[in-house]
Amino acid sequence: MNLHEKRIPIIKIHDYLIVPIQVDMHDKMAIQLQSQILEEIARTRAKGVLIDISVLEMVDSFIGRMLSGMASMAAIMDTSVVIVGMQPAVAITLVELGLEMPGVDTALNMEKGMEMLERKLNNRKNNSV
Amino acid sequence: MSESINITNIKDRIDRIEDILASVAAGDMEARIQTETEDDFSGIEAAIDLLINDLTEELRQREKVQKELESKLEKIQEQQKTILQQQEDLLELSSPVSKVWDNILILPVIGTLDSQRTQVMMENLLQKIVETGCTISILDITGVPTVDTQVANHLLKTVTAARLLGAECIISGISPAIAQTIVHLGIDLSTIRTKATLQDAMIFAMKQNKRDDEIRALKNIVIPNEHAD
Repeated sequence: MNLHEKRIPIIKIHDYLIVPIQVDMHDKMAIQLQSQILEEIARTRAKGVLIDISVLEMVDSFIGRMLSGMASMAAIMDTSVVIVGMQPAVAITLVELGLEMPGVDTALNMEKGMEMLERKLNNRKNNSV
Repeated sequence: MSESINITNIKDRIDRIEDILASVAAGDMEARIQTETEDDFSGIEAAIDLLINDLTEELRQREKVQKELESKLEKIQEQQKTILQQQEDLLELSSPVSKVWDNILILPVIGTLDSQRTQVMMENLLQKIVETGCTISILDITGVPTVDTQVANHLLKTVTAARLLGAECIISGISPAIAQTIVHLGIDLSTIRTKATLQDAMIFAMKQNKRDDEIRALKNIVIPNEHAD
C-alpha cells in the first residue's frame, strides 16, 4: 500500500513519456518503476522517454544501473531514453563508482532533452525514408 | 667595640619583616620595610628592601617580554590565517570557468595539476554547466607541463561527469610530453574529443552550435509538415 502511494507518475505527451522522479527511490521502487515504464512504452507506443532526476540528490549504484539498463531495454523496444537534469554531485558520485553509463543519452534540462529526442526521431525518420 | 649585639625592638621588627614579606608574596610590590633605626639589624632590613626592589624590576621585565611574545604570536597567527585564505583563493582562482560564447564554456588550466586542484576544477566546471546551461565546455590544458596517472584519470572523470550532465567536454592543447605520458600510461582517451589547440576547439564548438541551430530551424519547418501528413 505504501509503495502504491509513492508511485512515480508517468506522463504521456504526444509521442513522449515524461517520468519526473521526485522522491529518493529504494531498490524495490526502482525495479517497479522500470517495469512500469516499459509496460507504458508498449501500451502507448511512445517514441521517447524523458527521465527527470533533477531533484535527486543521491543516486546509488543500483539506481544508476537501473537507469542505464532501462535505456538499453527501451532501445530494444525502439524507444530512446534521455536522462535529464542530473546534479553535479550525482554525476561525480556515479563517475567515482565507475558507473559511466555508456550509451545513455543525457541532457541538461527538460527542454534540451526534448530537443534531443526530436532530433533523434527526425534522424530516424530521414534515414528510413 | 662591644661584643654584644645591638638590636632594639627585635620582636616588633621581625614581625614587620614577616608582614612585609607576606604582602610582597601576595602581590603588593610597593611594600618596603624602610627602617629608620640604625643598628646591627638594619643592614638585613635594607638588604631585604633591595631584594624586593630587584624582584619588582625582574617581574616588570618578565611581564614586558611576555607581552611582546604575545603580540608576536598574534601577528604570526594573523599571517597564518592570511596564508590559508590565500591558498584557498589561489585554488579558486586557479580554475576559472568562463562563458565565452553562446553555449560555450572555457576552463583554461595553467600550472601543475594535483588531485585536489583537479577535484575543485571538476566541481566548478560541473556547477557552472548547470548554472549556465551551456552544452559545450572546453578544457584547455596548454599551460599544464605534465600529468600523472591520477591527474589523467581525474580529467577523464571530469569529461565523463560532464557527459552525464548532458554536456560535451572537449580537451584541447595536449602537449607532446603529455601525449607521450598518457599513451605510455596506457590511458585510453579515444572516447574523448581532443583538439590540438584552443582555436580548433573553439571552431569545433561554434560549428556544433551552428549545426544545432540549423537543426532547430529545420525542425520548426518539419514539424508542421508532420502534422499535415
